Amino acid sequence: MREELKERNFEVITVACDSKGAAAAESWIRQSNPQHPSLLDERHRVPELYNTRNVPAVFWIDEGGRIVRANDPIYAQRRNRETGEATVNHAYLNAVRDWVEKGPQSIYLQDKQRVQTRTGQLTKEDVEAMASFRLGVYLYQQGHGQDAVAHFKRAHQLKPQNWNYKRQAWNLGDIERDYGTTSQQAREDPASQPFYPSLDLPDPPQG
Amino acid sequence: MSPMPLEGLPVAATVLYQEKATAVPRTVTAGHDLWLTLPDLTAASGWELTPEGLCREELCVPLPDDKPSRFVREGNGESWFNLAEFARQVEQPFAHDDVHHVWYFGLPAWEWRSQLASPLAPEFTLPDLQGKLYSLSDFLGKKVLLACWASW
Repeated sequence: MREELKERNFEVITVACDSKGAAAAESWIRQSNPQHPSLLDERHRVPELYNTRNVPAVFWIDEGGRIVRANDPIYAQRRNRETGEATVNHAYLNAVRDWVEKGPQSIYLQDKQRVQTRTGQLTKEDVEAMASFRLGVYLYQQGHGQDAVAHFKRAHQLKPQNWNYKRQAWNLGDIERDYGTTSQQAREDPASQPFYPSLDLPDPPQG
Repeated sequence: MSPMPLEGLPVAATVLYQEKATAVPRTVTAGHDLWLTLPDLTAASGWELTPEGLCREELCVPLPDDKPSRFVREGNGESWFNLAEFARQVEQPFAHDDVHHVWYFGLPAWEWRSQLASPLAPEFTLPDLQGKLYSLSDFLGKKVLLACWASW
């Protein structure tokens, strides 16, 4: 789709928020062989800036640098890890095409108010959690993964709704050994809801 | 300066101040306090202690004068500054690991509170697999689909 639309002043930028860095993201990136910028964000800089709580998180940014659609929990294309089979989210891709075609007239855009509601504002708990998370990432990258656990736990306690911190931390260690839980149990914790924000994709225009 | 002397044996620590990592050979730490000598303070954080307060580039933050020893103390013939106390003062989050003596400092309130105040997409600069750097602002004039993902 990016190839189809690139002539229309459109670009895709993917950001891999992965504290294992190139090692983790590389095989996925190479496999999909993108022609667009595929960036590495080991320190989770973009999730911090855009106040996202989980992946995937997709933002539409217009020519003037404004966010016109915020925090869609969508992969336009998912590849099954075992079978290699790809499923495409046609409704979402058509929404993107609609935006490229119609610009500000696209029904899929969100107004300033809606964007601000969806991105929210950072709170003290958010930034305190981020400090502990960043410290954990640093220690992990220095080879002290076990000592990082206490700091990741603090991030989880401060901001239970932040699934980036949980899922990344589990990925860097062992969820049962280090965190005494399972993915299932963690998903059921009421303090950590929602797992994803709502999608709110309007139905396609008729005709 | 202040009558309260700084006590404690200096330990080497790593100070992560936003994007910068500095190895500081002598720090004094106690609980949630981190004392650095004035040259080390500037080397690690960019802040400089002046009569106007703590200053960095164009910005000066006055220090409350209720209890100066909260921020500055003498020890071993040198002046030491409590960077952690300053962080608390400006609502700057920080975290520390006392086994490895690593201190991480995030953004001060005036930065993190204003981050999502406008509809403009926050700027960032990140590398691709080849190490080439891209900034979001490079793409002004284009519609951009920004997709955050992870293998976990």
